[in-house]
Amino acid sequence: MTVPTTSGRIRLLPTAALILGAIYCIVPTLWILIASTKSKTDLFSTATYLPSFSAGIWHNIVDLSTYQNGIFWHWMLNSFGYALIGGVAASLVSAACGYAIALYEFRGRKVVFNVILACVLLPQIVLAIPQYLLLSNVGLTDSYLGVLLPQLFNPYGIYLCRIYAASSVPQSLLEAGRIDGASEWKLFHSVGLRLMGPGLITVFLLQFIAIWNNFLLPFVMVNSDDKFPLTVGLYSLLRHGAAEASLYSLVITGTLLSVLPVIALFLSLQRYWRLDLVTGALK
Amino acid sequence: MRSQWRLAGALVAGALLVTGCGGGGGSDQPAADGKVNLTFWDWDPNMDKVVAIWNQAHPDIHVTLSNPAGGDQLVSKMITAHEAGNGPDIAKVEYQSLPALVAKGVVADITQYTGDAAKDFDDTTLKATKFEGKVYGVPQDVAPLMLFYRTDIFDQNGLKVPTTWDEFKQTAADLHAKAPQVAMTNFDAADPGWITGLMQQGGADWWSASGTTWKVAINSAQSKKVADYWQGLVTAGTVAKNPSFSPQWNKQMNEGQIATWISGAWAPAQLGGIAPNTKGKWAVAPLPAWTAGDKTTGIWGGSATTVTADSKHAAQAAQFAAWLNTDDKAVTAQIQNINVYPAATSGRSLPILSQPPAFFPNQANYYDLVKQAAPSSRSFSIWGPNVTVTFSGYTDKFGAALQNNTSFSTALDDIQNATVADMKKLGFTVS
Amino acid sequence: MAARNRAKLPYLLVLPAVALLALFVVAPGVYALVLSFQARKVTGGLLGGGSKLVFVGLDNYGLALADPELWSSIARMVLVALLFIPATVGFALLFALLLDVPRVKLARSSRLAIFLPYAVPGVIASLMWGFMYLPATSPIGGDHIDFFGASTVFFSVANVAVWGSVGFNMIVIFTALRALPSELYEAARIDGCSELRMALRIKVPLVLPAIAMCTLFTALASLQLFNEPNTLRPLSNAVSSTWVPLMKIYEDAFVNSDVNKAAATSVLFVIAALAVSFVASRTVSRVNR
Repeated sequence: MTVPTTSGRIRLLPTAALILGAIYCIVPTLWILIASTKSKTDLFSTATYLPSFSAGIWHNIVDLSTYQNGIFWHWMLNSFGYALIGGVAASLVSAACGYAIALYEFRGRKVVFNVILACVLLPQIVLAIPQYLLLSNVGLTDSYLGVLLPQLFNPYGIYLCRIYAASSVPQSLLEAGRIDGASEWKLFHSVGLRLMGPGLITVFLLQFIAIWNNFLLPFVMVNSDDKFPLTVGLYSLLRHGAAEASLYSLVITGTLLSVLPVIALFLSLQRYWRLDLVTGALK
Repeated sequence: MRSQWRLAGALVAGALLVTGCGGGGGSDQPAADGKVNLTFWDWDPNMDKVVAIWNQAHPDIHVTLSNPAGGDQLVSKMITAHEAGNGPDIAKVEYQSLPALVAKGVVADITQYTGDAAKDFDDTTLKATKFEGKVYGVPQDVAPLMLFYRTDIFDQNGLKVPTTWDEFKQTAADLHAKAPQVAMTNFDAADPGWITGLMQQGGADWWSASGTTWKVAINSAQSKKVADYWQGLVTAGTVAKNPSFSPQWNKQMNEGQIATWISGAWAPAQLGGIAPNTKGKWAVAPLPAWTAGDKTTGIWGGSATTVTADSKHAAQAAQFAAWLNTDDKAVTAQIQNINVYPAATSGRSLPILSQPPAFFPNQANYYDLVKQAAPSSRSFSIWGPNVTVTFSGYTDKFGAALQNNTSFSTALDDIQNATVADMKKLGFTVS
Repeated sequence: MAARNRAKLPYLLVLPAVALLALFVVAPGVYALVLSFQARKVTGGLLGGGSKLVFVGLDNYGLALADPELWSSIARMVLVALLFIPATVGFALLFALLLDVPRVKLARSSRLAIFLPYAVPGVIASLMWGFMYLPATSPIGGDHIDFFGASTVFFSVANVAVWGSVGFNMIVIFTALRALPSELYEAARIDGCSELRMALRIKVPLVLPAIAMCTLFTALASLQLFNEPNTLRPLSNAVSSTWVPLMKIYEDAFVNSDVNKAAATSVLFVIAALAVSFVASRTVSRVNR
């Protein structure tokens, strides 16, 4: 019989191919881990794929933690602050808007939704510069709010919420609630939001990552180094490396330390991902 | 119904919060006790130690140091912050960027506050911060270009320190023949301050002005002579061509794959970080000359401490700028921590300058050599009002020329055209 | 009472989103439009002695379109996109199909490993790859291969982008595959149809909508290419300050402080981007039908 043998061979091949893919994705992080074990003097002089065992990593972490009074940890905190607050707020805004569009008929519904849909396709990045100039008129540049506020509007999140609300909140349930005398607002937060919960976690995670990864907006918006998120902070360290050489080992260690917590967050939250939502959105 | 009002209330509160936070956007918060708070943008490593000295001695004027970007990036940050009206009070500005910032109205005229301080500088130094009779900054340091070379590499290969550019070329060829893996030096397309220093030595005058009319001569014969010379070395393969301060260049410097570095007086402080393995192996010599015996050199870097037009405490800010660059204690701390070669005349005879920099224990007369070179450093008549366009032109065009082996001379023509076009667009008169 | 509530609540619920939309999308958009018709001119004196904004009509648009750097930056972006889009979608599809093969070993860990780069910011990813590319620190043969050569640099930039986005797209396609009813394959398996044939004949056509959407996502991402080349720039001569259109806009606005020309370029860019997106999304919805 030929069937078992071919399928036996094919299972090996896909496994090997997948592992190759996994290695490709992990190697840079692995290299950063190795490089961060090296002291300043070893970084450019020892074999690049061998870790150094001279306690360099600890020195590097100490150096990084003392650099400008530990500003690196400040950046880390900022990144979490921006992503967490922005993620939660943006998800709530999206949930409210998506819920209304999905479950109510009201004047202007179509227009609002179409404009939001167009924003999904608009590269947010080109707005960064006029946003900066506009926010500077009201004195909001170089402030935490200047970074947070523009990221609260998440057209893709609204889009997803609308789809999810339509499929997870049955109109009949709302009607039943209305007959029982529940107010529309109560229906929204005790029925709508609860049923949309799992989808909202995905919207939150998507927005969390989007803010965490954002570079241009904070880069443009913020001047004080104590308000930088990690991306801008590490980039500025790299550019300082271009005026002062000894910082490369700090950049490398900082890169490692910035990747680890997100990986941890991801591993712990992975079962909450509902990415079928992303594809389901198509139908 | 009531819950709706709660929601509306939350929204209004949110809006109030937003506007409330907006009010504190400026850089000056006049405190109730009459204490003045100043912000200071600077990228010098260890500048915090110098600022600490000031803060201890001046409880009424507190200076907060911030480091939002380095060099040319700081200039862009200053311009945008000025447009937003939230710039710092004090900022470090390299001489070449100062006219551009004056033209944009970013830095303030501080003539009235710096009468005393100005006496501490010679005319050549002051010229870099004084335009049309007004002072726009207190000079911090000067950095004549010099030739830093690896004594060990020169000895091993039986090389003599070149005193002219012809000799430099010959030495490069000799070194290449004996040790092909070692480059004579690095040609840097990333830092325009480096090439302009060499152009200044070569007799170029990229910008000059008569009355209110500008003359731009970036692609002059003098510039092309310098460019062609370096193109020859690059083509011969005797020099490396990485961006200086890049990791690649760091490695080459640290591992002895580059024999010389044409750099400013601040080089020893940087070398400690760039090439920690090479301590005590470097020495300094005057920059090679175009004609034997000529002492002219150029300048790489050098900065002034400026007060911005946005500052609400210009007098106090100017007081700090003057203190930073003329007070003996402050200047000594800067030499010690940042290895600046001071711009102030009095600073140049401070006792600390009789010791060599920590990274050059082998060269006791280090600062004597710098002192000899400083007076013969030649600058452009004036830096252009849109120097950023010229400088990004340099990094892009020369970077591409190195990448594609195309002509440096054509790159200069491109930079000239871009610079003139931009000046005309802005409304300057260009002859 | 209830009817009145019903009439009001939807407006209240969309209000935050609409307010944010007005403040952070519409207003900046209009402002950019206004700026694009103005220019700053100096007023007398050697160093200008101050400057004022004047109305210049379409001058900025003319300048922007006549700037050869803009066109080369677009050409470079297209080159990267031509590598980035097919590689990302291709690998995402491949890995998703492999994950869907029954009894593949280490599927969960591989899936997670491939997905993780999605959580790494583009700047950080470029830093990591930058050090991987540089001969000084390269563990992948950077001392033999010039990753920053005149043509290799396009692969190097595209690679960072691919690395960051394969995982997300893989999950999108994989989820779509999982949603297919398994009865579809049973018959084919019994007929002795190989996994490969099944993947090509049955699975791929059925997840075409997901593939189309991934293509749209990656096409949009390539328009927004900025972080990767911008972070790699200080490491080599190969990446210029105007390497892709957004870097060009950034350079004009913030380095050369010509906000007006940058605004004109932005407006043109948005129009072009919307046109591309529109065509792409029409194609996507046609595929979905």
